[in-house]
Amino acid sequence: MKGVLVARLDNMTEKKNAAGPQDSQRVPRLVSPGEDLGDLEGYEVGHGVIAIDGRIRATKNGQTNVNGTTISVEPRRTAYMPRPGDLVIGFVEGCTNNIWFVDIGAPFNAILPMSLGPAKADFGGTRSVIDIGEAILCRVQEVEETHSSVVTMKGMGLRKIRSGAIEVIDPHLLGRLIGKQGQALRQLKEESECRVIAGENGRLWIDGDFEGTLEVRTRLRSMTAEAKAATPGGVA
Amino acid sequence: MSIPLVPQLLRSHLKELADNDQRLDGRNQYQGRDLELEVNVLANAEGSARVRMGDTIVFAGVKFQTMTPYPDRPNEGGLMCMAEVRPVAGRQHEAGPPSAASIELSRVVDRGIRESGCIDTAGLCIIPGEKAWQVILDLFAVSDDGNLFDAFALAGIAALRNAVIPQEKFEIGEDTPLVVSKTPIMCSYQRVGGRFVFDASGREELGGDERIHITLGDDNHVHSLQKGLKGAFTATEFTELMAEARKKGDELRKMVHALEGGN
Amino acid sequence: MGYGDVQMIDANGIRNDGRKAGDVRPISIELGVVPVADGSCRMRWGNNDVIAAIYGPMEAHPRKIQRQDRAVLDVRYNMAPFSTSDRIRPGFNRRSREISKVTAEALESVVMLELYPRSKIRVEIEIICAEAGTRCVGLTAASIALADAGIPMTDLIVSVASGKINDVVVCDLNKSEDNYGEADLPMGILPNTGELVFLQMDGDLSPDEFQEAWDYNMNAAMVIHEYCVEALKTGRYPQ
Repeated sequence: MKGVLVARLDNMTEKKNAAGPQDSQRVPRLVSPGEDLGDLEGYEVGHGVIAIDGRIRATKNGQTNVNGTTISVEPRRTAYMPRPGDLVIGFVEGCTNNIWFVDIGAPFNAILPMSLGPAKADFGGTRSVIDIGEAILCRVQEVEETHSSVVTMKGMGLRKIRSGAIEVIDPHLLGRLIGKQGQALRQLKEESECRVIAGENGRLWIDGDFEGTLEVRTRLRSMTAEAKAATPGGVA
Repeated sequence: MSIPLVPQLLRSHLKELADNDQRLDGRNQYQGRDLELEVNVLANAEGSARVRMGDTIVFAGVKFQTMTPYPDRPNEGGLMCMAEVRPVAGRQHEAGPPSAASIELSRVVDRGIRESGCIDTAGLCIIPGEKAWQVILDLFAVSDDGNLFDAFALAGIAALRNAVIPQEKFEIGEDTPLVVSKTPIMCSYQRVGGRFVFDASGREELGGDERIHITLGDDNHVHSLQKGLKGAFTATEFTELMAEARKKGDELRKMVHALEGGN
Repeated sequence: MGYGDVQMIDANGIRNDGRKAGDVRPISIELGVVPVADGSCRMRWGNNDVIAAIYGPMEAHPRKIQRQDRAVLDVRYNMAPFSTSDRIRPGFNRRSREISKVTAEALESVVMLELYPRSKIRVEIEIICAEAGTRCVGLTAASIALADAGIPMTDLIVSVASGKINDVVVCDLNKSEDNYGEADLPMGILPNTGELVFLQMDGDLSPDEFQEAWDYNMNAAMVIHEYCVEALKTGRYPQ
């Protein structure tokens, strides 16, 4: 067991005071949950922060970001939360006579009603249209607190995924994968000669010949490794 | 969900990969993942090891207890192997009593070590008919990304070979190393996309079919075999796997021996 | 309860492991130690070795545990069979069940559960090696793991136990001090406000001794919090 500096009463740092909040600058920096980010006065709370008793506090581990008057924390990792309009790749986990339950990698499954599905089936024939274990490209239609989100397959390009491979990356790496105005993703598609569709839920559909798919997968692996090494807190 | 969902797309993609002699992570058919093996990692165990194979991470701990010998074997002690895959090891592992799969895992790893005879239970006798040592090997999964079988088997034998009988604590004498006369090594092969591969990763396991576990001793004697899950294999396939298991077994055995201090 | 004749602190105020009364045992922290989990933390504290892993937020199964207004925290504290000097038989354990419950209740006080209604967050705390204060290490490690997983919390939780040995109040009991001492006071503290979310006590402390043990815990928590923050920034503490 490697020895490290032990906490002694006589060398406790003065900086932290359990009794009250601290002042801090608005310079971007790494923060952890509970850290005080200053007075609420004149600011709005964005993602990853909360206002308590007139002060702003970080609720996530990540980098602070001030955009106009909105303060937020960009976390290293975050669960996917569906929003209406999101393009997502889902796996069908179950079904009843007229709805499918779809795993979209969110805190709760989505439902796909027969009326929003790819085709009509006889009542009870749900599995002949989309079977359990199949993957679909769909769009989030609505998200409401009291029931599951609803996805739809009515829309351009939405379909059952019949070929290719599905890879998963952390949703927060999507920005890096897609690049400015989609540049990086376009380049990847060209070089691998594959169709690559990125779902907002961090799932990617790669469709192309076998070598191209391998190339995309290798690129994803190195991108994830780079991100881990570069970002604070990322340990392999 | 206690039974993991197997996206159908995964299976067809694995088939395409296999047809082109490729695997999801770029490995060769019989190539294992990056492997780390450490021993003496648990301060309260009398023998211990940690194994990392890719993102699969397990611990093995050896504890000694005294027991009353069985009446029909008055001069022998005992060996018990228990494997636990707790919810910590994966999203698919839920709390509750052990599943049939994890019981099979436990028993297959136990047989691999026990049947090799590497622990002579007669040598564990303290007072004939009254007291003997019970060696308890606990295998603990921290992260499950496939092939817990081989990870457990490797950690288990490494822990045993570095174990010290705590005679001082029990006031029986001086601490002495546990005598382990062999180094049985398990190699597991799973049919993925139509052909057998070594050291299946989590996704390969999810989309794969039957498995074969082969435990060989130092002299390539066969100590235990198990075929699991649905599917059939040919004698030719099996012969090839045995040859691979011998090669890989030698390699892993050397790795275990390299870590031994006083043994 | 107290074993007054076991000498654990000498006339110069040095404890049997070389520490002074206010010293905390050596601590190291590492993130991402369970690669398949959504967040994880390994914390070594003295000879304690604890792994905490987080899965979720995910669909809450079975349906009956689901809550419409918030996520549920499913917390499991468990000691591995080889974690203690005498082997622990795997299986249901009443002590672990109680610790799981009070740990869950502490974490529920800071995790912003209302952001994930109808879902569940699994917190798996495994004691790989035990040396007094495992519940404190477990709770602290769990809070770091939750932060690693990106689960929003109003604060981290730092937990530490002080007590009394040979009539002297000391900070962060080790194994023999916990076994032979006269009191044990574990606390779970929110570093940014000084509020408590976890509190247990057993033994015998006078009002003054109680205040002393309380203050030791509060002060130690502030220093340990800095280690946690550094670990969250860079992935490990110490570097």
